[in-house]
Amino acid sequence: MCPAFGAVRNLLRMEDAMPIVISSGDGCLYGHTFVAHFYVANRPIYSPGVSSEIWAKGSAFDELRGMVHEMAEKHAPSIIPICSLCVSDTVGLPFDLLPKQIGNTEIVYVPLPAYSVHTHARAKDIVVDSLVWRLPPQRKARSGVNLIGEIFPSDPIKIDEVLRKIGTHVNTTVPGPRWSDYVAMVDGAVNAPVHPFYSESVKRMKMKQGLPFVEGAPVGIDGTYRWIRSLAEPLKLDPALVERVAAEERDRAAAAIDQHRLDGLTLMVAGYEGHEFLLVRLLLEAGANVPFLSTAVNANPLAREEEAWLKERGCHVLYGANFADEIAALTDRPFDCVIGTTPLCAHAKELGIPSIYYTNAMATRSMMLAEGAADVLALVEQTVAAKSRYDRIARFFSEDETKLERTYTSWAPKIDITEHLIAHGAV
Amino acid sequence: MPQIRENIAQSELTSDVVNTPIRKRTTDLDHAGGDTGAMQAFASLRDANVVLDGPVGCHVMPAVAVINYTDSIPYLQNVTCSELSENEVTLAGTLGVLKEKVAEATAAGRQVFIVSTPVSELIGATWTTEHAHVKGSALFFDSHSLDDDEWKSRDRALLFLWANRDHYVAPADAVRPPKTRPSVNIVGPTYGCFNSYSDLAEMKRLIAGIGADVNLVYPFEASSYDTARLSDADATVVMYQEFGKSLAREVGLPTFYAPIGLEPTTRFLLDLGRALGLEAEAKAFVALEKKTTLAAWHDIWRSTHSDFFANAPIAIVAPPTYKDGLTYYLGEELGLPISYSAYRTGAESAPSETVRAALSDASPSPMLVFGSINERMIIAQEKLPSRFLQSSFPGAVVRRATGTPYIGYTGAVWLLQCVCETLFDVLFANLPTSAAPPVQATAPTRELMADGAAAGAAGKGANSVIGWTDEAKALTEKTLKRVPFFVRVSVNKKLRAESEKLARERNCDVDEAIVREVTARFSPGSN
Repeated sequence: MCPAFGAVRNLLRMEDAMPIVISSGDGCLYGHTFVAHFYVANRPIYSPGVSSEIWAKGSAFDELRGMVHEMAEKHAPSIIPICSLCVSDTVGLPFDLLPKQIGNTEIVYVPLPAYSVHTHARAKDIVVDSLVWRLPPQRKARSGVNLIGEIFPSDPIKIDEVLRKIGTHVNTTVPGPRWSDYVAMVDGAVNAPVHPFYSESVKRMKMKQGLPFVEGAPVGIDGTYRWIRSLAEPLKLDPALVERVAAEERDRAAAAIDQHRLDGLTLMVAGYEGHEFLLVRLLLEAGANVPFLSTAVNANPLAREEEAWLKERGCHVLYGANFADEIAALTDRPFDCVIGTTPLCAHAKELGIPSIYYTNAMATRSMMLAEGAADVLALVEQTVAAKSRYDRIARFFSEDETKLERTYTSWAPKIDITEHLIAHGAV
Repeated sequence: MPQIRENIAQSELTSDVVNTPIRKRTTDLDHAGGDTGAMQAFASLRDANVVLDGPVGCHVMPAVAVINYTDSIPYLQNVTCSELSENEVTLAGTLGVLKEKVAEATAAGRQVFIVSTPVSELIGATWTTEHAHVKGSALFFDSHSLDDDEWKSRDRALLFLWANRDHYVAPADAVRPPKTRPSVNIVGPTYGCFNSYSDLAEMKRLIAGIGADVNLVYPFEASSYDTARLSDADATVVMYQEFGKSLAREVGLPTFYAPIGLEPTTRFLLDLGRALGLEAEAKAFVALEKKTTLAAWHDIWRSTHSDFFANAPIAIVAPPTYKDGLTYYLGEELGLPISYSAYRTGAESAPSETVRAALSDASPSPMLVFGSINERMIIAQEKLPSRFLQSSFPGAVVRRATGTPYIGYTGAVWLLQCVCETLFDVLFANLPTSAAPPVQATAPTRELMADGAAAGAAGKGANSVIGWTDEAKALTEKTLKRVPFFVRVSVNKKLRAESEKLARERNCDVDEAIVREVTARFSPGSN
């Protein structure tokens, strides 16, 4: 996936946003619309046309300005994010000349040159950063926790239930489906980036909002306990109460994980979404051996603590994942299951290793608290249990000694009409 | 026989394909760009390695993400990328990083094709080395990705492959298959061509059927060093109108296009047979097909299924090969009314807004729309009663089983089958009675008799006639016009019954709001 798509996807998921995508060309736009229509939304995607002539004449900006005004006046969405991809960002369109607001509509520039964005996670970070920068100043009276991170729809509800036991609540969750989810951040008392990659957003939030931060996420035994406890100080909650609830949730998570032990299994995890850190926590706590975590996310301050925790438990973090290394590792040692990118999983399946595509299987699931742990681990158990099926297929496709060349369509049986005709005396 | 032009400079080879116009604004683009098209053409060669000269997204999007949903291939293993970052784009240029990628692929014994992307074109990156004229060295293809669409780019890429046919190095053990029978090139399938696996299988079947051999399936089942062998054949079949014809022109053999429909297929077989000196075989094959493959077609045609055709309107939005082919076969040969058709790519393509307006206003609404995900979204968003059969990209689909061709005789049978199944589907959805279990008796028979006094006073007794406002009548008429004729009676009954039931409950006449409410409940787009 193009790194920029991480951002385009989040913006298309906003019901009251009408994103404009300034592509680098039709190949670029086609790719983005194709996957957007598959993964995200049954909705149109708007773009100014681009070509070498349009770039040379500089007419793209006028067209963009016209589009922005027309869309704001006709549809009045809460926000029109303008996603500027490689070429437009290299050419440098004068986005500052666009109005900041038209009526009630916010016009926000989101810079996404993929050659410097590098990862999905970073693109999501840029979106949150761009939108947060547009927020009004923080309110004086604040309460609750701003959850920052893409999480499962039921997660905020579960987390809120726990938070209410310790005297606070979930204030809002970003990225959210509406602009108002972002605006609500001004009411929150603490920011909680639950994925270790919102580093730029966090930096800007610190500059702008002046809110305390709580890092980590309520994932797994240790993670859940520490995350809940860490809220006590910034929110001035009753420490004894917080300790009691944190311990309760820790025990619930431990009980859930006990139901799905993965002892003796060696797993490979490769992700580019950012929450692969959290997944590996769960796998390790369930007793699995995860020799390394391969992630597209770059080393950043938010990941430091996660990395140390994983390292203590024998898992090394490889930042800026290298596909060739992942493939080499596959043949190096016997993995029982691979959770990774499409190409990696394709290789693993060829070798008969049960595997699942990270985005389709993991990113669509809750990992938080006891229920999330049970859900994720059950999926891994189920996948590993299918080993014999993967083996059977791998054997079937590799057992032939004659190495025929692969073709894409079967050859039709040759009906030799000439012979047929001769047999019937026609020629 | 047209002359084969030898040793021509590649700059002289011009593509006959006309680009899809670039509009000032785009909504839901329906075609990929030049870099994608070129990559899909080059990567189809067995021994090729494509190096996309661009940022990582220009590689991952077409060669990993999209290819997984157009061709159901996890990723293209023979495509790599120079993975440009700020340093190359703003400062260093791409030559340094390209060299590494080219060296890797060359070391693996592959013919390298470097394909430009928007960013590399913007910074004017090319591939200029002292080795350019050494056989088997990397070739640079300017994909015109800022301007050309995927079709023109595929066409140009095939021309480029031909112009460089003496450049490729064949392995020592490469054998030139002996020629025993007349043979044919199939020029066409590359990655990302809708339904090409099935269409190719059918084309092979047709060629084998008249007693000819396939010389090369190019580029899909060939290696770069096979390119020069294109001229060994006796004829060329071009699978698509969208691309490949310029290559066929340069190869210079008698050229034929893949047919859609009964008569076009018959004509194709006889003409091809004549060109190959296999006329008698072609005639015999057609006769045999009528008794075998087409027996199914003939049976369906003779069944009551075909009675519905004249009242089963369809719409077709696809690139030229399918749009023209379906229009002729379904419209002319089967007699389905075509309520709308448009090209989605090429010089005369219709933008998404035009298609949206046309499909929404069509009266009656098409029963079946052949299109891409763009049309599928229009059907859903405009709450049209149309069924959908994916017949072009974009849109995620699996078409790897080879039994779903559009071309040839098998294609005629498969399409006929699709139309009939849709008819049955529409009929089922509009069955006049759908109460299962049956409506429960709420009162003994005696109590079903109207209570004269009470019913008369309100005028809305259980069996009294309910009034319809003029607006409600107008809306009903408009709604019914959208529905195919053969289910209009059922829909009318259902609409009336449900509207009057609501009116009775609310103790009022049927008004516009009620009709709208009922219509929404039964629209396919609303669930």
